[in-house]
Amino acid sequence: MSRPAFRLSHYFCVAITIGVAALGLAVLDKALSAQGTNAPPQETSGVFTPAHPTVYEALREFLGIRSKPVQPIAYTHKVHLGNGMQCTDCHVGVDQGPDARIPSVNFCMTCHQVIATNKPEIKKLAQYKARGEDIPWQRVYGFEPSAHVKFNHAPHIRAGVDCSVCHGDMRQQTVAERKVDHTMGFCINCHQQKNASVDCVTCHF
Amino acid sequence: MERRDFLKISAVAGATAALEGCGNPDHQLIRFIPEEDLIPGIATWKPSVCTLCPAGCGLLVRVMQGEAEVVRDGRLGLLKMGLAKKLEGNPAHPINQGKLCPRGQAGLQVTYHPDRLKGPLARVGPRGSGQFREVSWDDAIKQLTSQLADLQASNQEGGLALITSPLRGQKRAIFEVFANHFKKSLFVESAFLGDSVIRAANAASFGHALPPTVDLGQSNYVLSFGADFVGTWNSPVAQSIGFGEMRKGRPGQRAKFVQFEQRISHTGASADEWVPVQPGMEGMLALGLAHVIMTEKLRPAAAAGHAGSLIEGWSQGLPDYAPERIATQTGLQAETIARIAREAAAHEPAVAIIGDAATAHTNGYFSALAVNALSALLGSVGKPGGILFSSAPAAKESGVSVEILASQINSGAAAAKVLLLYNANPVFSAPAAWGVRAALDKIPFIASFGSFLDETSALADLILPDHSPLESWHDDAPPSGSARTVMSVAPPAMHPLHNTRSTPDVLLDVAHQVGGALGKALPWKAYDEAIQASFAALYKEKGTKTAKDADEFWTKAQEQGGWWSAEPNPAPVSTGGAPSAAAKATAPQFDGDANEYPFHFLPFASQLFYDGSLAHLPWMQEAPDPLSTVMWGAWVEINPKTARKLSVQQGDLVEVASPHGKLKAPALINPGIAPDALAMPVGQGHENFTRYATGCGANPISILSPLTVEGANSFAWAATRVKLSVVGRGKLILFGGSLTEASPELEHR
Repeated sequence: MSRPAFRLSHYFCVAITIGVAALGLAVLDKALSAQGTNAPPQETSGVFTPAHPTVYEALREFLGIRSKPVQPIAYTHKVHLGNGMQCTDCHVGVDQGPDARIPSVNFCMTCHQVIATNKPEIKKLAQYKARGEDIPWQRVYGFEPSAHVKFNHAPHIRAGVDCSVCHGDMRQQTVAERKVDHTMGFCINCHQQKNASVDCVTCHF
Repeated sequence: MERRDFLKISAVAGATAALEGCGNPDHQLIRFIPEEDLIPGIATWKPSVCTLCPAGCGLLVRVMQGEAEVVRDGRLGLLKMGLAKKLEGNPAHPINQGKLCPRGQAGLQVTYHPDRLKGPLARVGPRGSGQFREVSWDDAIKQLTSQLADLQASNQEGGLALITSPLRGQKRAIFEVFANHFKKSLFVESAFLGDSVIRAANAASFGHALPPTVDLGQSNYVLSFGADFVGTWNSPVAQSIGFGEMRKGRPGQRAKFVQFEQRISHTGASADEWVPVQPGMEGMLALGLAHVIMTEKLRPAAAAGHAGSLIEGWSQGLPDYAPERIATQTGLQAETIARIAREAAAHEPAVAIIGDAATAHTNGYFSALAVNALSALLGSVGKPGGILFSSAPAAKESGVSVEILASQINSGAAAAKVLLLYNANPVFSAPAAWGVRAALDKIPFIASFGSFLDETSALADLILPDHSPLESWHDDAPPSGSARTVMSVAPPAMHPLHNTRSTPDVLLDVAHQVGGALGKALPWKAYDEAIQASFAALYKEKGTKTAKDADEFWTKAQEQGGWWSAEPNPAPVSTGGAPSAAAKATAPQFDGDANEYPFHFLPFASQLFYDGSLAHLPWMQEAPDPLSTVMWGAWVEINPKTARKLSVQQGDLVEVASPHGKLKAPALINPGIAPDALAMPVGQGHENFTRYATGCGANPISILSPLTVEGANSFAWAATRVKLSVVGRGKLILFGGSLTEASPELEHR
């Protein structure tokens, strides 16, 4: 009779172990994102590699943990939009194809050659330009490759979906933040409201 | 909690802590500022020109924004740029009409090849050691300039040698200025599968030193003597389209196609009637067919005009070529010859073409004249459904071959001081007996412009790598493949990935630095200026696009991928004057004693590697040969009867020996080859040609005898005799099936 009791306690302990591990990861995630180690572009070695660089990365994806991006320059959407600029002034092509353009440092410098040149963040911008380097912006949104989601901006813009539905109110944000959680439920909900197709292959292919 | 469980928890926590170190900033690549502003995810299609074979098909390149790992100013980083993703045929282009062959599709891999030369190199080790050091473009150009300036100052005759792939357009013009400027330069356009025999024969028969444009689409009877016209010969994509039209494009009408050859080719496999013929007897067979047509009064002898008068005994009706008299020599039955002749005469328009091995016997030039005369007799030359010639003027050839260059240098008759090498690999594609390697060793300075190290460019002292074709300007005037006049032009489809420079631009730069008459002969600052200048006169000609001025014309031509005449405008066929002497039939010569070396050795153009210049493309290495399904290697084809006699099994490693060398390759049993012949694809067996081709298979050219086609300055590469022995078990990888599944009655004879 003692064997089943032992089993039960064993399962309980395993459950605690997993729980603590998950908690540990969540804490670790905060620490890591603070250090700005979010998905850096890595040099490719030219040899076969698995889908994830480490077991840790695989585990993070499995548990749906995503670190907060840390941007190299404290860009402020609020100021630019407040000065009357439009989203599409910089994010060209959002109504034409799957992705919007993130402007290069050259584009920023067309204005900042003369505007606000004494501010520390603009000086950083000028330094990138002087070194011949582009700004290594970190990705904010996006789907895990394993989800096989092919998102295309253009049809959403054509359907009149406001940018803020997915990106939040950019007039209140400095650097872009993940204000909206792009879960499948979020997408399906909107598709149903607007009578858009909810076929699997509409998004997953 | 028990102690054991605590340990488990600690272990998991410890493991996670250890993993914390990932995402090392040292591994982060910097991002360079993009040179172009593209909209992500949107593909554009840009015109270009395929340069992988002489057909000159028009391309459309799918270009999309992507990230490339590149080196700029010595720093490794990521660059957002427009990258070529896919190649397709240009639907507007008259040659390939939107189609593209598998070799052309694989052209994409030239640009992204991991072994591409990424910048200029200077030799440091002994010649051929493959040891180079990186140098700057300024240094490289200075070095080449000083060599050429010294040569100019010395005023020495024959001091400059140039070996290039066959060139056309302004690129050829620039090389030609260099060749003409230095006295008695040796300018060689080297190609193993060259068409110089056919061009020489066409010049004699029809007054056009051009390969023919075969109007298969409107033909009703096609006689092909060895030409693999849907595979590799002449303009294969244009001819494949024509072949499709001939077979299925006209409801209720299906032309007949007869192929004469020793080994069934990709094209022969599509023939209605495949007729084996003895090697070197194609000309005799053509005259036998002509004899039947003339004696049965199906066509008058005079119908052949000038082309007929070139053949001895033509006006007498070729009495020596009665089918009964040539049956034994050609290997055909007399009734077969007579029947095919009657069929051809009864189906207008009928056309006869010759190519590949049939023109690579020692009597190949005579065979080509004989087939031309047959075509003329059938009345289809210069007419729809027959042979047409482009109105574009033929380039004037220098008449120097690799063989002549090597023999002159080896004998001391010429003392070349500087060699300019561009996209040619004569060390690989010439028989050992020519002594090409020894000749190159005698040249003190070799500058190569190729994108890869191969057997020849590894001998260079200085390497100035060209852009890949997709990164380059193009201009091209394909001499065959369309009845329209075609002038292709295309700007680069993408920015260069590496520290390379366009070779015509480098040559212009060097010419200006050398100065003097050389600089004055090349007034353009850049290659595209030269192309634009050559297009300036064209805009008044009637083409498919109209423009109000030369500038608009230039823009429209670039958008379309070239200029082509609005209507087909083949050149009129000249009847010419009477020849000084009619050509007399000659028997083919074969090197090697027939008793010691019982087999004819027939190298053939690979469907995948062409002449071997494409063996570095992994898509081509892994693709199965369409006929045999062999992949990753070379093989020797042998008739099943011969194989039984010699106890050769499929896949056995056999040694093929000629008087000039030997090689080993696995045997492939092929019922479609003569019992006294062995065949082998050309293209493998590279000693030094990138990671994908080096040490793969064997090179049949290495054992060929150094014979020449009589009457034409060309290599007789199908005139070697060989012997065969089994040496063990080889590796033959077949994608599926084998050629011996055919029923026994289909076996050769």
